[in-house]
Amino acid sequence: MIAYLTTIMTLVSIAVLIAFALNVQWGMCGMVNFGLAGFVALGAYTTALISLNGGGFFVSVFAAIIVCAVMGAIVSLISMRLSEDYLAVVTLGFGEIIRLVTLNEGWLTGGALGLPGIPRPMIDVIGTDHYEVFFLGICVVIVGIVFAGLEIATRGPFGRSLRAVRDDDLVASSLGKNVLLLRVKAFAVGGGITGIAGSLQAFQFSYIDPSQFTAIMTAYAFMAVIAGGQGSHRGLILGACSVMFLLEATRFLKDVVDVLDNSQIAAIRLILIGAGLILLLIFRPQGLLREYRLKAPKSSPSSADSTAT
Amino acid sequence: MGQLLINGLGTGLIVALPSIALSLSFGILKFPNFAIGAMLTTAAYIAWSLNIHAGLPLLAAGALCIILFPMVALLCDAAVFRPLRSRGPVTLLVASMGLSFVLDNVCRLIFGNDARNFDIALSRPYRVWGLRINYELLVSAGVSIGAMILVFLILKHTSIGRAMRAVADNPNLAAARGIDAKRVIAATWILAGVLIAASGVLIGMDRAIDPQLGWNYIIVCFAAAILGGLGNPAGAVFGALLLGVVGELATLVVATNYRSGVGFLVIALVLLSRPNGLFGTREIVK
Amino acid sequence: MPGVVTVSDLRTGYGGDDIINGVSFDVHPGEILTIVGPNGSGKSTLIKSLAGIVPARQGTISLFGENVTALKTPQRIAKGLAYVPQEFNVFRNMTIAENLKLSTEFLGLRSHDGNQERTRVLEMFPDIADRQDLLAGNLSGGQRQMLAFACALISSPEVLLLDEPSAGLSPKLVIEIFEKVKAVNELGTTIVMVEQNVAASLPFSDRAIVLVNGAIRHESSAAELSARGDLHELFLKEA
Repeated sequence: MIAYLTTIMTLVSIAVLIAFALNVQWGMCGMVNFGLAGFVALGAYTTALISLNGGGFFVSVFAAIIVCAVMGAIVSLISMRLSEDYLAVVTLGFGEIIRLVTLNEGWLTGGALGLPGIPRPMIDVIGTDHYEVFFLGICVVIVGIVFAGLEIATRGPFGRSLRAVRDDDLVASSLGKNVLLLRVKAFAVGGGITGIAGSLQAFQFSYIDPSQFTAIMTAYAFMAVIAGGQGSHRGLILGACSVMFLLEATRFLKDVVDVLDNSQIAAIRLILIGAGLILLLIFRPQGLLREYRLKAPKSSPSSADSTAT
Repeated sequence: MGQLLINGLGTGLIVALPSIALSLSFGILKFPNFAIGAMLTTAAYIAWSLNIHAGLPLLAAGALCIILFPMVALLCDAAVFRPLRSRGPVTLLVASMGLSFVLDNVCRLIFGNDARNFDIALSRPYRVWGLRINYELLVSAGVSIGAMILVFLILKHTSIGRAMRAVADNPNLAAARGIDAKRVIAATWILAGVLIAASGVLIGMDRAIDPQLGWNYIIVCFAAAILGGLGNPAGAVFGALLLGVVGELATLVVATNYRSGVGFLVIALVLLSRPNGLFGTREIVK
Repeated sequence: MPGVVTVSDLRTGYGGDDIINGVSFDVHPGEILTIVGPNGSGKSTLIKSLAGIVPARQGTISLFGENVTALKTPQRIAKGLAYVPQEFNVFRNMTIAENLKLSTEFLGLRSHDGNQERTRVLEMFPDIADRQDLLAGNLSGGQRQMLAFACALISSPEVLLLDEPSAGLSPKLVIEIFEKVKAVNELGTTIVMVEQNVAASLPFSDRAIVLVNGAIRHESSAAELSARGDLHELFLKEA
């Protein structure tokens, strides 16, 4: 039971990191990222390849952060001049490309079989008996560092400009180019955080394959951000934990209803994720979900009117 | 080469229908519907169970699916999108992703992960000037072209079609003129539903039906719609045909596995160079 | 005699604050009433409220003695009102003919009656009558304004609400537009318009209201307002 809880907590930590990333991009800046799982995969494969070739823990995590941050900047640049709708499509496509590459470039990624035998940091020092607890400790410390970093950043100039953008469209547009730069920065920061999450994922399982990085991972993050409240890091940790525990609980459905097979249980979990996402959007909007959009004022003065309902 | 062109046009025609649906609903409802893939899957399964379980011939099953599926689309709108209508496009697009999870996995729950096929006899392909042309290809080309003509006649020559275009053009003015937005939205989902149902059946004929069916088409549909300028249904047709052909020709240079990556590449290139689509005029630049 | 439109103690706005703070006035049958005022005085909000686009928060709006405060735009159109928004007032991706058809179709006219109505209205706008297959987006500013008028007149409204008809037009066109407004008025339609261009609009108006900070500062005949030398002082935010 302790072992199970430790594993769950580790996975929650990783989920919290992914949710942090989405929170910077979507919660604070209004930019939807449907390719989160792709970014996490990119981080995980970067870490795996480097540590399998002799790179240490810090080197491989750092490399994952850099690769994902740069990729985040590039992806957001593609749609920098466009509205969020297009960014959503571009990120979805990006995730798909990453999936295709991990699946098809066997020489690099091991294809569908993935990469096994990723050395877990300091395992020869700690030993296998208490390693899971130790690793959970690493994850919690990293979550703490990222949390503190984000809290400080959102209170500093970066956060101030994000807030300026989010609270007042006019200010946003008068900032002009800075708004665009801000979007790229926010996307890069989010990308870097997914890189960390990917690293931890690789070390946690010590093998990775493409099936670990599916749209479910992305959906978890969206649920956590919506449940925890866009923009609030503390609420988000709570959101991620409750989402994860609720969904883990569905694993026990199998013991209760034995007519269902594994794939049906999996389907039910995914239905719950989807329905939960929709219900949260509908029923918990205030405070939990404010929509921050980076939009220049429209050219039509009458656009203040409500559009078609 | 000629064979690739024919295959590409065939794929393009099938993809054109959901791309029109996507473009149409984006223009009128003002959000990108990421549930389009899951809707294709759902429609294919509806037709499949009518075909296999109810024992209807495929033609009847397909026709019934085209009548039934728009109701599913209306139901989705009432349950998911209507309560969120005033919340802006980003909320709606996230909700559409949630809906996509629900629909895909309801299909998985009911029908399982196994690939299913319609009950159709395999037929030998026709040969014209050395090119293979499948019977299915002819059917799907006929149905696609017919559906497209129908959609454009409705948009151009009926009052509800004009009202739909008016709302897409200028929703504030449409409201000031007293155009009934509810009616227009319902008509949009019905029309989109018909297109999605038709292409769901055609895709099911083209390949096996499994819960992943629609997911494979999301990116290419968006690519086609963006290529044609989101909100411009005629452009979407052109985008779909172009992508179909490019996708087939691309197999000459890159591995077949990467075909769906070609769609993404095209989106990226188009967005970088011509943000309004190839002939779009709509203001989408921030 | 009751006004064609009677507004009493109207309060309305968007979001938190009221933009219109208790406005009352009558529109007399057959007149051109022009509402002028500085930027941000609430003119546009006021006329949108009359059209039923911005709901009233307090007070009443009556049309021919009937309280229409709770009615939405389509119902007010059915009762004889029509509204032409400022700029962006035609469907740019549709042809002139389609723009007009939308108006007749909204009224539920059969195609024959619709044709008759369109022909009737187009007689007043020869400029656009002979190029009906042109996209409205390709028209000049003045022609677009004419088309917007034509679309509004399809329903044979008794009261026509115009939001800044001269906005964005060259001085020569401004006069043409106001002449058209006058011509429509002479055929028996009462007109309420909001205008920024005081100098050009007053000569064509019968009466005028000066709106400042969402309240009526001055109400008189148009000639009387034109004759006053202190228009600038009237427009100042602080009285």
